[in-house]
Amino acid sequence: MSEQPLVIIDELKIDVRLTRAKRLPIVDTATFDVKRGEIIGLIGESGSGKTMLCRSLVGTLHRRGAYIASGKLVFDGIDLVAAKGAQWSEIRGKQIGYVPQSALAGPNPVMLIGAQIEEAILQDKNFPKSKVKERAIELLNIVQIRRPEVVMHQYQHELSGGMKQRVMIACAIAQQPQLIVADEPTTGLDVTVQAEIMRLLLSIRAEFNTSIILVSHDLPLVNQICDDIVVMHAGTTVEKIPSKDITHAKHPYTRALYDSRIDLVEPKGKLTTINGQPPTVGSWPAGCRFSEWCNFVRDECRVPQTMPIIPLGPDHYTTCIRYTELDK
Amino acid sequence: MKLKSMSQRIRAWIARPGGVGIVSGIFMMLTLMILGLLVPLFGNRDDAFVGKPFAPPSFQYPFGLDQLGRDVFSRVFNAVGVDLGVAFLGVTIPLAIGTIVGIFLGLNRNKYFLSVIGSIIDGINAFPLLIIAIAALTYLGPGLKSVVIILSLTNWARYARISRTKAVVVTQQNYIEAAKTLGYPKWRIVLKHIAPNVSSETIAYALSDFILVITVVAGLSFLGLAARPPAAEWGSMIADGRNFIGNAWWIVIFPGIALCWAAVSLSFIVEGLSRRDRGV
Amino acid sequence: MQKGNQLTRKIIGRFLRAISVAFWVMVLSFVMIRVAPGDPASARLGPGAEKAAIEVLRKQLHLGGNPITQFFSYVNELIHGNLGVSLQDGVKVVDIINRTLPITIYLILLSTLCALIVSIPIGTYIGWSGKGSLVYGFRGLTAIFLATPNFFIAMVGILFFSVRHNWAPVFGYDNSFPQNLHYLWLPVAVNTIILSSVISRVLFSSVSETKDEEFVETGIIRGVGRRRFFWFYILKPSLAPTVVLLSYMMGTMLGATVILETVFSLPGIGRELVGAVLTSDYPVVQGILLYFGVITVLLSFIGDLIAYLLDRRVKI
Repeated sequence: MSEQPLVIIDELKIDVRLTRAKRLPIVDTATFDVKRGEIIGLIGESGSGKTMLCRSLVGTLHRRGAYIASGKLVFDGIDLVAAKGAQWSEIRGKQIGYVPQSALAGPNPVMLIGAQIEEAILQDKNFPKSKVKERAIELLNIVQIRRPEVVMHQYQHELSGGMKQRVMIACAIAQQPQLIVADEPTTGLDVTVQAEIMRLLLSIRAEFNTSIILVSHDLPLVNQICDDIVVMHAGTTVEKIPSKDITHAKHPYTRALYDSRIDLVEPKGKLTTINGQPPTVGSWPAGCRFSEWCNFVRDECRVPQTMPIIPLGPDHYTTCIRYTELDK
Repeated sequence: MKLKSMSQRIRAWIARPGGVGIVSGIFMMLTLMILGLLVPLFGNRDDAFVGKPFAPPSFQYPFGLDQLGRDVFSRVFNAVGVDLGVAFLGVTIPLAIGTIVGIFLGLNRNKYFLSVIGSIIDGINAFPLLIIAIAALTYLGPGLKSVVIILSLTNWARYARISRTKAVVVTQQNYIEAAKTLGYPKWRIVLKHIAPNVSSETIAYALSDFILVITVVAGLSFLGLAARPPAAEWGSMIADGRNFIGNAWWIVIFPGIALCWAAVSLSFIVEGLSRRDRGV
Repeated sequence: MQKGNQLTRKIIGRFLRAISVAFWVMVLSFVMIRVAPGDPASARLGPGAEKAAIEVLRKQLHLGGNPITQFFSYVNELIHGNLGVSLQDGVKVVDIINRTLPITIYLILLSTLCALIVSIPIGTYIGWSGKGSLVYGFRGLTAIFLATPNFFIAMVGILFFSVRHNWAPVFGYDNSFPQNLHYLWLPVAVNTIILSSVISRVLFSSVSETKDEEFVETGIIRGVGRRRFFWFYILKPSLAPTVVLLSYMMGTMLGATVILETVFSLPGIGRELVGAVLTSDYPVVQGILLYFGVITVLLSFIGDLIAYLLDRRVKI
């Protein structure tokens, strides 16, 4: 059992329904595994489909009119592609925790912080009501919030951005999930706060052996705490690479991201070092989708094709057919 | 070829958000106005006893005859000019006054002056338009002329508030600061930058206010405080027919439909424009 | 600490505003009666009235003598709760208001209650589902209701329910509880149609905004139970604008009931006002106006307060 990865994503394709007849692919295709206790950094600019990939893991694709078109999505042996309402309510929130995008949204503005944490705790129907408060404070302590008793009686707008995100993390770990999906948990926060949140995620993993999928557009930041990095570009996972090998990336896009060491600026996604606009959803080039921006491009890259997944090691693959020539 | 591209362009314009609403609203309004222009000129039968009182709608009198044997059709369209005209004055005069007062207040820095004027504006706005109009009619005496005067005296406050808020926002914009540092004269800044910005906001409000004012004028006439019998006006026609609704529904229903028609066409235009503005 | 201060400051501010509205009503009615063409006293009593009678009336209306001292004596009387007496029958204005206001308030509250019951499910459902055709139909229909004057809806209602079917009386009133509903249901229904068009529209747009917020997503993922989700994640975050609008609409409702009471011959304060205007009964008009002003300011304050309690993001 422990051999089996916690999450298996295999050639996953997600489409969004535009009209009755029109479909638009937004993830095409994603492939990677998440092992137990592993932190995966999912990197990509906006429009690369990383958020949709997260939503497929928590079963809220339909809210944006999207759905899984094909491929495999397995969590802890459960087929999530076929999962229905009742099954989802057993999985999400309980086995998969979710930390939402951007600190600006954060907790529910019309509920006290305490009420929300207690709500998260009480999703376990058997949890003794008398111990809820105690547990809530315990959770707030885990996420290193000072004076949790005070924070319990506050609303979200009274908290700082970092505090809000800590609260969201506390809610996410209330049921001790096996997996936490954190969608851009630190975007828009101060650099020091970002580092604190990252450290917090690390300590949670250390304590509960939780797997974490950490979505970000900031490769250098995420690389410091992740085991593996998965890079997404134009709906495709172009490379999976252990973070210690990041300097030897085998996909030109990963290199561009890392070498520039510059944040891909959200949300408009202007690449500073990669010339031109990133490809927009629906107008992806045939063949390699990075070909138009790539310095190593050859004619064979532009041939319409699905780029092959070329394994380079146990946790390393690339989709660049010319990876051997990158270092020349 | 060129013609086709023109019609295509129009179609594309309609296809954008709110297009259907705007076009149908304008179409409805134009129909009403054209009939309101033509009926009084040709075939006007707004006299007593053109036929038997309470004659139901027929081919000859499509909207029937009222209790005095007057042709409801003619009266309904005779009233177009009165209703739309009074409402038009009742919107444009306050619009002009309110916009100017608002700009003036937005530029003024005298704290005491502002708070006094502000409290007057608040005081007026605390009342619904209908109530304040009714109250003021006590002193001026009923009549359409008084209604226009009262609307001018009271409704400006709503425009002034909108205009003032916008003027304050505009004056804080960078380009105004820049214009000031460049040493442009104040009147020029007001005319070139502030007035256009502010008036686009107040005119947008005026359009939706038009609907309100039409119903207020008709409402006042219905209460017998504005147009009074025998004047052809929708509100007073409805009030007139009220007592006979049991046996002659057409006296009430047709002026009512005309009134709705006018208000609904405007509201379609307003709705369409706001949707276009928001792009949904 | 700071929050409490803010709240008290707001309450004081609203109190001052109510006073200032009342003040301007006093000033305006005091000035208007002087500025209006002709002598109101002789105009009211008609030609051929005795000089002495006119003098008495002028004194009652604070018309003679120095305007400034007159104004102070007028304000002084008002502060002591003396709103004067009706010129028509000598009844105290306060008594007239006490007799007629409850009916109007009853009418307004009943319509508001009905409107909430109707519009909350409709607005929430359409906002949440966001279905194109449904939204289109909803917007069109409410736009028509909103543009239609209430007296016309009322007349159509009378035509159908009173004339054709005799389900609702056209006039009359009974003050005791279950009987009065017989007279009130049709006016309430007319009010409800208009009010629920407004409320459901605002609720619709705020629900469709709330729907896309991140915390709603989080709530779904957390697995919050259906009823709890509906209240804490959909309705409560969307209600604040609706409540603010509702309190504002209450003032407009006062205006609407003036007409409705006339249509249905209900002995409310609105019909009293119209009657007073038509007979130039100045003290009654002033008194009713004063009440209306203070009521509107108070209501808008209550609305803001409730909105704040529902959603602390609302600035108070």
